[in-house]
Amino acid sequence: MSTTSPDRAGRKAPPPPQLDPRERERLERAFNVPRARFLLGIPVVALLLVWSFVGAEFNFAKLGEGAVNMGEFLSRLFPPTWDKFDTIVALLIETLQMAIVGTVLGAVLSLVVAFGAASNIAPKWLYYPTRWVMNIIRSLPDLVFALMFVSAVGLGPFAGILAMTIGSIGSIGKIFAEAMEAVDVGPVTAMQAVGASKRQVVQYGILPQSAPMLVSYTLLLFEGNVRGATILGMVGAGGIGLELTTAMKMYDYGHLSAIVICIIVLVTVIDQASAVIRRRIT
Amino acid sequence: MTIPATQHARPLSAAELQPQLPLVSVRDLKVAYGGGPLVLDGVDLDLFPGEMVALLGSSGSGKSTLMKSLTGFAPISGGSARVGGYDLTNLRRGQLRDVRASVGQVFQQFNLVGRLSVLTNVLTGALHEAGPINVVGGFSTAHRKRALELLDRVGIAHKAKEPARSLSGGQQQRVAIARALMQRPKLILADEPVASLDPKMSRSVLELLHAIARDDGIPVLVSLHVMPLALEHSDRIVGLRHGEMLVSAPTSQLDAAALDVVYQHDDEEGEGVVDDLA
Repeated sequence: MSTTSPDRAGRKAPPPPQLDPRERERLERAFNVPRARFLLGIPVVALLLVWSFVGAEFNFAKLGEGAVNMGEFLSRLFPPTWDKFDTIVALLIETLQMAIVGTVLGAVLSLVVAFGAASNIAPKWLYYPTRWVMNIIRSLPDLVFALMFVSAVGLGPFAGILAMTIGSIGSIGKIFAEAMEAVDVGPVTAMQAVGASKRQVVQYGILPQSAPMLVSYTLLLFEGNVRGATILGMVGAGGIGLELTTAMKMYDYGHLSAIVICIIVLVTVIDQASAVIRRRIT
Repeated sequence: MTIPATQHARPLSAAELQPQLPLVSVRDLKVAYGGGPLVLDGVDLDLFPGEMVALLGSSGSGKSTLMKSLTGFAPISGGSARVGGYDLTNLRRGQLRDVRASVGQVFQQFNLVGRLSVLTNVLTGALHEAGPINVVGGFSTAHRKRALELLDRVGIAHKAKEPARSLSGGQQQRVAIARALMQRPKLILADEPVASLDPKMSRSVLELLHAIARDDGIPVLVSLHVMPLALEHSDRIVGLRHGEMLVSAPTSQLDAAALDVVYQHDDEEGEGVVDDLA
């Protein structure tokens, strides 16, 4: 085939779209008066803020008056008493174990759910229901799940683990899905172009790209679960939380101080370790 | 300069005589996205085994759309397109994957998974052949041997274990070519494969693609922006403007002046250059 097409070459193309002259003039000006919607937005945001401060009874004066009581409370925490150190360590280990199991189960379940909640993977009929379920889970605090599971399986760490696992689906599942949606579309196109199946596209195009984010968020989930496990204990769902609450109720400030110091050390060590891992993988 | 489209400066080579049946046959192809204006309007194109065809045209001329339409990534609104025996306007269920598996594609931005090794990236070209073992991430020894042979061929087997992102642009494009060859393609489409590369790398990549077309008998359709590269590295040139095919002739019959029509500004249309070709 050897052709050229002079007739087609002579045809006029439609004129290119032009920038509106008023918009051009505005873009050329070094200083622009902000748009009306921006000027209107400022008082609306200010009103919203004032309304929230008043409604929440936020009061700097009260905070100043209470500073004395706060100082007195803090002074009672010292010196810490270490006579129940063995108990604290045992409960901290239990807390850590709860966090590990809760994180692994939560991350695995979140990953499964995230496949259904990622718009570039899931069909519409699955995407929307999955997102709704995640929204519902996210709207409930972990404490509610803990109370629910304590009544179902009784007091102890198992209830706490279940609460953490379900709670993480709502939060980390959404983040996992968004990490998968944010991958570079180029390699995904390349996978589709070689005739890969949907599963293969996910396995070789999406997961390898999102893996650093998934691991990073799992470590964040773990950090959150270690802190969360101390709170879940307050409703009897295992871990050091129950001991913490008991010490407060019994006015055992020395013991309370020792517990808090141990929690701070544990959380700091975990934070630092996971920060190092995150730096290496991202 | 006047180059009559039907007059040959020298006897045609065997490739130019094209005694074989075309592997790709496009007739009066029309493509429009979502009921919008035609992006391709009445394109005719044949691709024969062993030839490298350069596709020229300004941005928005329809080069990428033509390539996408040959792999089912662009909707065909009219006309016909046959690729390796498949009628793209009348595919049965599941055949689209077969068509895509038989067409190797090379992209401007390489489209490799940067964190995966060079070898794994090449292996992904064989995904359509992979069996259940692939669920746990494994490819067969035969696949691995073939991938390494292809990396030898493109000259970067020594980088097989390294992550793809650690390679230079030219090296990444070679990996992408090896991935395309891993598909055992009947056709290779290269959409501006050298647009992100320096001139030396560009020549090297185009020489590689030309050698593949020549030695393996695989037709290669390559879209380019740089006219001298097209004149230097193709057997035939097809020129598009505003979705219409203006030029289709053996490269030996064309020069830069003859191809100006493809890049001519709208206000200069119909003057001079077209007459030179007639």
